[in-house]
Amino acid sequence: MCTDMSILLELQMRLRRAVLGGDTAGIVAAILGDGLDPAARVGIYRHHAFATLGDALQGTFPVVCRLVDKRFFAYAAHEYLREHPPHSRCLVEYGADFADFLARFTPCQELPYLAGVAHFEWALNIAATVREVTPLEAGKLAAIPPEEAAYVAFRLQPSLSYLASPWPIDAIWQANQQDEMPAVDLTRGGISLQIRRVGEAVAWQRLDPGTFAFRTALADGLVLAAAMLAATLKDPAFDLAESLRQVFAEGLAVASRISPKQETPQ
Amino acid sequence: MPQLRPITSGREGIGLRSRHVSEIAATRPEIGFLEVHAENYMAETPAMDRLLELRRDYPVSVHGVALPLGSAEELERGHLARFKALIDRVEPVLVSEHLAWSAIGGAYLNDLLPLPYTEESLDLFCRHVEEAQEKLGRRSLIENPSSYLRYRHSPIPEPEFMTAVARRTGCGILCDVNNVYVSASNFGFDPLAYLEALPIPAIGEIHLAGHHAAEGVDVLVDHHGSRVAEPVWGLYVAALRRFGAVSTLIEWDTNLPALEILLDEARHAEELAHVHRYVDTA
Repeated sequence: MCTDMSILLELQMRLRRAVLGGDTAGIVAAILGDGLDPAARVGIYRHHAFATLGDALQGTFPVVCRLVDKRFFAYAAHEYLREHPPHSRCLVEYGADFADFLARFTPCQELPYLAGVAHFEWALNIAATVREVTPLEAGKLAAIPPEEAAYVAFRLQPSLSYLASPWPIDAIWQANQQDEMPAVDLTRGGISLQIRRVGEAVAWQRLDPGTFAFRTALADGLVLAAAMLAATLKDPAFDLAESLRQVFAEGLAVASRISPKQETPQ
Repeated sequence: MPQLRPITSGREGIGLRSRHVSEIAATRPEIGFLEVHAENYMAETPAMDRLLELRRDYPVSVHGVALPLGSAEELERGHLARFKALIDRVEPVLVSEHLAWSAIGGAYLNDLLPLPYTEESLDLFCRHVEEAQEKLGRRSLIENPSSYLRYRHSPIPEPEFMTAVARRTGCGILCDVNNVYVSASNFGFDPLAYLEALPIPAIGEIHLAGHHAAEGVDVLVDHHGSRVAEPVWGLYVAALRRFGAVSTLIEWDTNLPALEILLDEARHAEELAHVHRYVDTA
């Protein structure tokens, strides 16, 4: 039984190598020609897998595709697919590390903002496919004893992403929603973004450096004292009370916990 | 084993694609049922809310395309749990999957790859079907594949394999008439003999779709991107005569046409079913 099972497993691993990597040498002997080269038969499956997975990536990264043109995108997607085949059966969840792949992909080097745009499109995809959770009420925070407030950590909305880039990636994305692409001033400097789901819509906004540092720290699970420190380093005039009020007003926090005191920085 | 739900039969349905959702919601066309791909509704997109709204007016069938029942490894529990959660929310009239494998060693290939039909494959496939039916708490239908290759060592004929799976696991059979035609054309077997070899009581649904010729090679490919071909309509009539009135679905997943075209195909299937009933009772 065990041996028989491994025969089927080995056959499937060989076909996987042929479909993903194009290496048909290990599988052709197991396939009937039926009037055709067995490798050509495998090619039909290979073509389908790459075409449909490439389409799925294009659906998630439409602006990246537009920036590099369809044929180059298909090439990049092909290389990515070989190295990073999907694990999830839900294709909207495929492409989490496509942006990192593009950042390393040598043929893309002349478009330094491309990986940033891909990160932005992935964040939009998360916001589009993850539902909002009922937010924490501000009263919850008031109920925490003042001496413990510094050690509170929050869990934020699961649809949230925070993204910083030296390029105006949101403006590049926006410009590419139009047929006639307006010029984007790439020298305007970096941006810090919050992307989230609001009801059924996806929304994003630019944040000032202090607020971005504060919310990123909270999203990473740091306690309030640590998040405040991170924010103050970026913006000496950072106003904790007002920033916290905004976090609750925007419904960003969904749970809280008091962290053990040793986790806070000295 | 939880109580199995009966499989309904009746009117013709269409595959639900997001582009048609608003129009269906607004015009409420006469359709027997709507079928969705399970994997398109596992993420928390607004599409799920739209589906639940349509669910109030139409029976829904959930068609899995990625539970790799034929993969020579453990069934992916996480995916099965998501499938179960979807079924609990949608309460579909039919649940179906494929006689195929699609993932191995952590890679999902997004394709319905063929199995060699051996005793070993049969044991494995039946074990996975039983596990899936147990976890989902209901009977499933298993669809015959369209194939572009055959293995040298595959001694059990496909309809015999399907029949054995149905007998051993209690699952039903989703007979994709286009797939029968495509495979028969690719390998030169008699599609009518294939239909004759399937067990009548197990047939719970029929699929119809378009196919085309693969580029550069003499192979038909099931692409779900055109009208049902004439010879497939002919084979459908033969299927109706053998299996009786069975819920029939028009699948169309690529090169999506206007909704009206899909409805037209479904009406044609219904007309053929009416003619068939008339012939039978005359």
